[in-house]
Amino acid sequence: MEDYAERIVDKAIALGCQDAVADVAVNRSYQIRFAQNQIVISNRWRETTASVFLVYKKRVVASDIKDLTKIDPQVENLVRIAKASQENPDYAGIAKGPFKYDRPAVDKKIIDLSDGSDHVQAAVNAALAEGANECAGSFWKYDEEHYLRTSNGARGVDRRASLYLSIRALVSLESSGHGVACATKASQFDPEKAGHKAGKIAALAKNPVGGEAGKFDIVFDPLIFGSLIDQVGGRTGAWTVMAGLSPYAKKLGKKVASSEVTIIDDGSADSIGRKRFDAEGVPPKRHAIVNKGILKTYLHNTSTAKKFKTKTTGNAGLISPDAHALFCKPGTWTRDEIFEECKDGLWLTNTWYTRYQSYVTGDFSTIPRDGIFRIKNGEVVGTWKDIRLTDNLINVWKSVEGLSKNVDQVQWWGEVYVPTFAPYALARGIGITRSAE
Amino acid sequence: MVELDLVDFAVDYARQKGASYAEARYEHQTNEDFILKNSVLDALYFGEDAGIGVRVLANGGLGFGATNSMAKGDVKALVDDTVKIAKAAHRKDPIVFPPENPVVTNWSVPQVKKLSNVPVEEKIEEILHIDRELMDLKFKIPARFFQQSNKQIDKYFVNSEGSKIRSFSPRVRLFYFLTVQHNGNVEQTYQNYGWSGGWEAVNELQMRRRVIDEAKSMENSLEHGKKSPEGKMDLVVGPQVSGIAAHESCGHPTEADRVLGREAAQAGKSFITPASIGQRVGSPVVNVCDDPTIEHGIAFYAYDDEGVKARRRYLYKDGIINEFLQNRETAAILGTRSNGSARATTYNVEAIVRMANTYVEPKDWGLDEMISGVKFGVYMKSFMEWNIDDKRYNAKYAGREAYLIENGQVTTPVRKTVIELTTPTFWGAVDAVGKDLEIFHAGFCGKSDPGQALDAALGGASMRLRNVYLR
Repeated sequence: MEDYAERIVDKAIALGCQDAVADVAVNRSYQIRFAQNQIVISNRWRETTASVFLVYKKRVVASDIKDLTKIDPQVENLVRIAKASQENPDYAGIAKGPFKYDRPAVDKKIIDLSDGSDHVQAAVNAALAEGANECAGSFWKYDEEHYLRTSNGARGVDRRASLYLSIRALVSLESSGHGVACATKASQFDPEKAGHKAGKIAALAKNPVGGEAGKFDIVFDPLIFGSLIDQVGGRTGAWTVMAGLSPYAKKLGKKVASSEVTIIDDGSADSIGRKRFDAEGVPPKRHAIVNKGILKTYLHNTSTAKKFKTKTTGNAGLISPDAHALFCKPGTWTRDEIFEECKDGLWLTNTWYTRYQSYVTGDFSTIPRDGIFRIKNGEVVGTWKDIRLTDNLINVWKSVEGLSKNVDQVQWWGEVYVPTFAPYALARGIGITRSAE
Repeated sequence: MVELDLVDFAVDYARQKGASYAEARYEHQTNEDFILKNSVLDALYFGEDAGIGVRVLANGGLGFGATNSMAKGDVKALVDDTVKIAKAAHRKDPIVFPPENPVVTNWSVPQVKKLSNVPVEEKIEEILHIDRELMDLKFKIPARFFQQSNKQIDKYFVNSEGSKIRSFSPRVRLFYFLTVQHNGNVEQTYQNYGWSGGWEAVNELQMRRRVIDEAKSMENSLEHGKKSPEGKMDLVVGPQVSGIAAHESCGHPTEADRVLGREAAQAGKSFITPASIGQRVGSPVVNVCDDPTIEHGIAFYAYDDEGVKARRRYLYKDGIINEFLQNRETAAILGTRSNGSARATTYNVEAIVRMANTYVEPKDWGLDEMISGVKFGVYMKSFMEWNIDDKRYNAKYAGREAYLIENGQVTTPVRKTVIELTTPTFWGAVDAVGKDLEIFHAGFCGKSDPGQALDAALGGASMRLRNVYLR
């Protein structure tokens, strides 16, 4: 596979390109989907894809080559297209290698796993034991090898393997809970814990009543707090900022969250998002996006960094920079203390469909799903349904008062797109709306 | 073609390995994306995606495997794996498919101006031209983002019942996102238009006019817009708002896999149950259809990805829940036949129940006629923010372009009108449906795991809703 990457880059340079990158990815992932407590389909992938980025006189072309038996004509075609394209004056090259990379550490037990049905069963049984009667979700074995070569001297190999399980447990249509399990080591993979969590929330969420609109103190469970952290990671990409898709424009050095909040992107640390290099071959490193409430940096590739007069943060994607893995620095509170400090509020356990009225101002709404609990004096006193969190992203972050000491690694279907380490959080005075009669 | 022989081979071999049913789908997709940000052509994406997806039923379990290797040995190994994982499901109640007659056919979408014959330079010039015209308006537009996308999909579908279907489907899209500023206030919009066919889409969709009209309306809203009134009042919505409601508040809840719980974990369930057929969900003037056979709708197809012939589905008819979107798996459970709703985004994912071109069926009202019957209310022409809960009962559609209606006349623009209603409240309030059908608002409908963002058209006629709460 290294040969393929090399051939693509060499061919592009021979045809007159100034920069070229090829990342040949071999995907051997495996998935089980389950619903109503049994397997509905198992999926297996055996694919090889070369992600290609080439630049001819500042004309930028990106591609995915699937047929690696025809590299030469495909690269020739891409160069022909580049020549017909237009200059991108903002293009500022790719990072200069070579780079040194950490040794990949992949759990052989994950690589060797050929049947995940026991993990599915463990999660389902745990949820049923808590009182759920219907479970659905997916189990994933992610297994990818990457072979990277750039015309600027970067050369690397990366094996990325992890296990993931998402389970939603239901007692009824409106009484449900969600749990996830993520691990890079088979010994640390705990689908049973995810099942217990989903089942417990579902059982607690029985007989919900319609919620009320107003301002409430909110206890965020890690899964929904992960979604809010994901919004910060996604909206601080420099390309996103330039496109008008972010409330963080012109806010570098300014307060964008309470002083309790530090959010770090770190693709080098152990997580299911760990990688040895970004799309330019730069080794990811730990950097605070938000430090004690202050916006410290956008996420950059070489070109966006030049535009912002800074250096790449090692977050290059093929076209726009992205977060690798997000870590919310733990707080000092226990989970119980977070709840105890919520005198009159709500505990939200999950959310989906986060959408903005204005990306520039950060006005948005998101729909809590699964267990929504009324909290008084730290205790669950009732279960709600049919509400919407309607507020402003920066306001929500400035309203965070406390974070738990312990964090969970979460990732979930679009809402928590980037693997995220999230604590329990308490935020004050968050807007809740509901459907009108 | 070697690839097509491999598709036949995959199906035959799966049957030999013990599959009671097998299908294979070869797809070759060519994708072009021109990305223009703030007048700079950031990048051009050109990809060729090709491979084979194999789905089998074995011992009552379903298995799916995908590869982009066209080596016979690799396809054979994939089929071995796929049959094996299907058998490992050990289901209590086996999955079965109801019978379908074999189909041998070839269909394609005509192109007046073939995408493959249009030079890259001409495609780039089209978005540059729009951007220049936009800047000529001399508005303050600090962020502009255009993505013009062209896709050509060649497919070959074979199943063990004797179906062999080849197809060719070209599609054109324009997505844009604009930020307009005026006196320190900001208005943002995004729009997405799509067409099944060739480069004639540019004229047919009137892309240039739409972008310029939108920018003018944003400037007008910023300059003259008032706070939207709050309280119960009448509401007239344009085709774009009808379209999103048709998709979110009718199409999704009538997907049979949601109704049956197969999608419960990620994209969710539905407030509708199998027993809901025949129950009222809207006023008698409400008909919502899903129709893959609408010519040039971006989700046009003649046969679905299970080889079932496409047809129009009346999801809500006369305000009554009438029909679910079905694939073969859900149809078997519900004791009916598939209505051709199975689709996959690419060769490497299973086909599941999906909407195609979903719309509010037009009736005979003129827009002016509907507005003239409103003493005080809001005309919401388009929306910006929207979302809906996973059971598809509580939706929010927040206005982008909206106007006050006073004494039967559209008067001043109003900003950020919010519709936050339940599905029956929304559809139950409709008392008039216009004749102005538009079907070219194109969405990427998200569903399944791994996520499949699929081409879908969201359309409709304008509608009038009586006495609904707005803020």
